[in-house]
Amino acid sequence: MLHEGFVMRSLTACSVVGALAIGGVASPAAAQVRTSLLKLDFHVKSQMDMRDFPTEPGIDSKDLFDLHRARVGIDGTMWKRFDYQIESELHDPTQPWRDVYVDARVVRALEVRAGQFKIPFGLDQLTGGMDLDFNYRSLAGTYLAPGRDVGVMLHGRLIKDVVRYQAGVFRQGGDNVRSSERRDPQTDRTFAGRVVVRPWSGSKAHGMLRTLSAGMAFTSGELPEGPNSLRGKTVPGDKFFDHLYVNGRRSRVGAEFQWRPASFGLQGEVMRARDQRLGQGIENDNLPDVMADGWYISGTWLATGERKKDSVEPQRPFLRRGIGAVELAGRVEQLHSSSAGGVPTAFVSPRSSWIAPRTDTVWTAGVNWYLNNYFKLQANIIREQRLLNGGAIPGQHDVWSRTLRLQFGF
Amino acid sequence: MRARSQATSTFLPLCLCLSVSLSVFGLGHLAAEASGGRANALLDGSVLNDVWIHINAKDWADLHTNYRDDTYYPVDFEWQDVKLRNSGIRVRGNTTRNNHKPSFRIDFNRYVDGQDLFGLKAIVLNNSWHDPSMLHDDLSMLLFRTIGIPAPRQAHVRLYVGANREYAGVYVVSEEVSKTFLVDHFGEDNGYLYEYHRQDGDNYGFQDPGPDLGWYIPRFGPKTHETDSVAALYMPVRNLVEAVNDAPQSNLESALSDVLDVNTFITELAVQNFLSQTDGLVGGVGMNNFYLYRFANKRLSLLIPWDQDNSFDSMSMPPSWNVTTNVLGAKIWNEPKYRNAYLNRLLDIADLVSSGWFGQEASRQYEQIREAAYIDPLTPYTRDQFDQANAYVQQFARERPDVVRQLVRSVAPEVFSGRSRIQSLRAR
Repeated sequence: MLHEGFVMRSLTACSVVGALAIGGVASPAAAQVRTSLLKLDFHVKSQMDMRDFPTEPGIDSKDLFDLHRARVGIDGTMWKRFDYQIESELHDPTQPWRDVYVDARVVRALEVRAGQFKIPFGLDQLTGGMDLDFNYRSLAGTYLAPGRDVGVMLHGRLIKDVVRYQAGVFRQGGDNVRSSERRDPQTDRTFAGRVVVRPWSGSKAHGMLRTLSAGMAFTSGELPEGPNSLRGKTVPGDKFFDHLYVNGRRSRVGAEFQWRPASFGLQGEVMRARDQRLGQGIENDNLPDVMADGWYISGTWLATGERKKDSVEPQRPFLRRGIGAVELAGRVEQLHSSSAGGVPTAFVSPRSSWIAPRTDTVWTAGVNWYLNNYFKLQANIIREQRLLNGGAIPGQHDVWSRTLRLQFGF
Repeated sequence: MRARSQATSTFLPLCLCLSVSLSVFGLGHLAAEASGGRANALLDGSVLNDVWIHINAKDWADLHTNYRDDTYYPVDFEWQDVKLRNSGIRVRGNTTRNNHKPSFRIDFNRYVDGQDLFGLKAIVLNNSWHDPSMLHDDLSMLLFRTIGIPAPRQAHVRLYVGANREYAGVYVVSEEVSKTFLVDHFGEDNGYLYEYHRQDGDNYGFQDPGPDLGWYIPRFGPKTHETDSVAALYMPVRNLVEAVNDAPQSNLESALSDVLDVNTFITELAVQNFLSQTDGLVGGVGMNNFYLYRFANKRLSLLIPWDQDNSFDSMSMPPSWNVTTNVLGAKIWNEPKYRNAYLNRLLDIADLVSSGWFGQEASRQYEQIREAAYIDPLTPYTRDQFDQANAYVQQFARERPDVVRQLVRSVAPEVFSGRSRIQSLRAR
């Protein structure tokens, strides 16, 4: 594994250096095919992290370097009505395929997507990995949102783009759940829906408000009986939520907003996942639902004056008479687990009626440097405060992490 | 209980003698009475207690399906008016591990920090899978403790399981050799405790495996200081093994005085030989079923017996049985003064047992569990096998002392006759 990791890192380093040369002098227009019936773009996504995570008792130390993403893919359009995407993660042999789908445009208000893609829940989770304002997604977006699965989804834009909707049915509950749940043959379908409203989308009178959007989303699916409660991890990726026995339905609800006036960006989400525990008590009794909650609010400012959007394009790229684009970012977030109701005495047993509440509150400050359209450097400093049953977990009251990411993609 | 009291008073001189011997080696506290308060009521065997394990039906099924795993499942443990919620249970055992009537370890503070049962952080429920009498382990530990060797307290219980309180048979509840045990017996818990894990095909008997500390890792599982470095954990164990191998046969006591109490080792060998234990310190497959404890801030170690199911094997097991397969055992057997000490210890035990208390205790335990064992739904043995095995245990308790005396006389008549002269002088 060590050797394999080294090879992968070396390949990535080479590709990054090579791409740096390309990116510095020319756009990768050659990675495109254009005909009257077919449009095909070749994509590469690479993220290399340097991490300084704290040494914590009982936790394996993490490598200083981490190849976070190494993806290749194609996307495009066929016969002008069918969009498609195929993307593979090179350093994840267990789940190499990411987005693999076809999207048929019937009319603007109705499109049909089929294949493997992200279940429509969670603004942060649905944001592309190359377009994140921070090195890591929020904990809620990472662990409470379902992620990808195979399914069929209807989506479209209504009332001049004021309303966007997504509604789908998926084979299982996404790839963001415990592996035991993914493997369980009892796992059943998940339904999901999301509506986002941009009230001033087309309004010229309200220029500052045109980018304001707000939305809600839900998922609902059947849980396989077993220790399959939602995962929850710390920023360095260590276990934070305990395995709890669940059975019944898993439902999620979430609300989101986003506003990007000029160079500023502001967004936030709140979400709750609720797992039933039918017959999961010591005496085969029903237990109170286990809850996992999360929220975040984040803000960004492009100090070099560019307009804030998903993929920031520097007005004056680095090495082309400019310094690129520089962005400052901050985020506050929380991830929390507990059981419905609550009593003073709570336990960490996987079949306890009352689950000891766990809370991870995280503050992140960051600087993003967009060198050009292809390269980005992101530096984050992260503070975590982890609580169990209302009290600080010994040694985890003030946990600091520092991460630096070099990103390349086209 | 009365039988145990009689035994203690009748053989007080022997125990005193052993205590004196132990204190010579700085181990006077070994003979200290174990504490335990109300835990004694579960472990003293005066009554047949009922224990109720509340467990989710699916966990109970999973536990049987995956009985080879050491996965913990949450349970509530109920005994008398005590209910310890959110305890953990797992299947345990080596050759006795099975999915029909598994043995269990119940960990009271698995999910609740600091939870215990009157000082016991965990207990073991043994299935007596290889012992149709269900008495071997309990009686063996009783003899160890009576003679002054620290050994776990045990008793029989009726086990009930699940929401419907289904009867799961007779089990032997045993305290663990743990920090609580160490405090009870030695007044400290900050030394190094290891559980010995016999490796298949090893036939290990204190032979020096060489300088590689890695050899010790799978065999001596640390139960305290688990996160210490390999060097901190195993260099002292290697030093002990090297000292045993290097010690001159003629002068074991002084050569090993700071690493191992030879007299205690001799007593342990004698108890196991008297009880015809085939899977102990000089078992048929090498050393097995013991803990090693190294006292805090000392080099001195002690062996603590564990899992004596395979005792009572043969009425006629000779004193020399397998002794020389062990490096230290061979030095003891081959050196007249240590061999005589060993044989004298065997005769001490024969005298202790021949007073009848041991047989009475076997009979009392049989009567105590008989009805419960008859209706044990999971035992692999029939009623007849249970009765016959118990009859043999009682016969063993009656006849083994004389057999041992004869065997000692045949091996070392001078030991036997010298001892008889002293006894007749005492009688006059």
